[in-house]
Amino acid sequence: MTGIAASQPYVIALFLLWAGLAKLFGRRMRAQAGQSALARLTGPARAVPALRLVGLVELAVAAALLVPPVHPLDGVAAALLATGFLAYLGYARVAAPTSSCGCLSAHSRPADRRAFARAGLLLAAGLLTIGAGPYPPLPGLVVLEVVVLLALSAELDRYWLTPARRLLVRLRRPLAVPPPRQVPLETSLHLLRRSPAYCSAAARLTSDIRDTWDEDGMRFLVYGASEGAAVFAVPLAGEDPGAVRVALVGETALA
Amino acid sequence: MRSRRDLLKSAVLGGGASVVAATALGSLGPEAAFATTAPDIEPGAPDPNFAEGRIRSIKENTLLVLGSNMVFHTIRVVDGTSLWKLGPVGFDQAQPGDGLYARGVLMPDGVLAAESVWLNIVNIKGHIKNITGRTLHLDHSGHEVLCHVVPGKSVAVHSESPPTTDLSMLKVSQHVQILGAWRPDTNEVDIATVFSPH
Repeated sequence: MTGIAASQPYVIALFLLWAGLAKLFGRRMRAQAGQSALARLTGPARAVPALRLVGLVELAVAAALLVPPVHPLDGVAAALLATGFLAYLGYARVAAPTSSCGCLSAHSRPADRRAFARAGLLLAAGLLTIGAGPYPPLPGLVVLEVVVLLALSAELDRYWLTPARRLLVRLRRPLAVPPPRQVPLETSLHLLRRSPAYCSAAARLTSDIRDTWDEDGMRFLVYGASEGAAVFAVPLAGEDPGAVRVALVGETALA
Repeated sequence: MRSRRDLLKSAVLGGGASVVAATALGSLGPEAAFATTAPDIEPGAPDPNFAEGRIRSIKENTLLVLGSNMVFHTIRVVDGTSLWKLGPVGFDQAQPGDGLYARGVLMPDGVLAAESVWLNIVNIKGHIKNITGRTLHLDHSGHEVLCHVVPGKSVAVHSESPPTTDLSMLKVSQHVQILGAWRPDTNEVDIATVFSPH
């Protein structure tokens, strides 16, 4: 237990260093500060100074945690900071649900469950730090916690989650299916819309497709037209839009 | 139905049915494209011949629709009305709760005589977060939308190429635009067409 508590300052400090440095030196992050929920809280004009201030506080707390001896006040500061993160995420979720959180990088994803879990984990680590004594940390635990925190960081998804999913999709090929025997309707519509027949009749059409059926290697498509109905014959095979035919049929002929 | 289809078929293939305004072969000629005049609506004014909303109730051939601006529309579906729900469908496919866009002619009694009705049609853009089974997990401005591939109906359009039922070219993290049918009151969509820029 003592080793667990003594490991927490290093975990928190590593994370706060990343967050603080990203806020102070990330050029894109400053540029996008106006789109984060922070801009909603402080006003767009003060978003960048507020971002810098938070970054400075994070670096100060990180430094206090890393410099021995570990003081209970360090843990209190870290816990307060984590509480602040949670409150801010809650605010962002309610007040600006589509804004990005502006926590660790310039990504544009809004605060989600993972962001809350990460802040919650940091809070728990901060609380543990309050009671930490002068014991050696457990390196394995530090690595494990950092890995969990990194896994909860949506900012890093494009480095590991997206490639992993891509690889899985490439291996499993979930969407690969044998070609269906039937020509999809959209394929016929694609040919139809590029055909001179459709272009000449389009202004007279009053409805979308009323009826469609396949017969003798042709697909027949019936639209409503100002005269009654427009019927198109689209070949099921082939790519030539010139082969599409059209006729306008009066309502009296159909009755 | 059979005889009507036969009549239409013979009309378009040149079997000699009474055809209006058309050479039965090929196109109608350029003058047809200018045959109708532009609709007479003030810019910015709501189009009286258009309605959108969700179906509250269905009575015989009449749909009572509550618009998103809280205005009720009464829409009459007739024989000549086209209905779309992931493709052309019959009137029996319309359900209370379905979202709808309708175009037609506003009658003097306030009823919209529909020419076309599109049920649950959605057009969303986003990037593919993941592909599992026959489902694309789409990130649409931070919200996850589950887009289901419907065998035989869903097609992909890659760049300018013709639609194909082979969707295996889609990749995780790429941007797509999806035209499909929303499953009411869920974050799920059945895919009609996926448009992919490459």
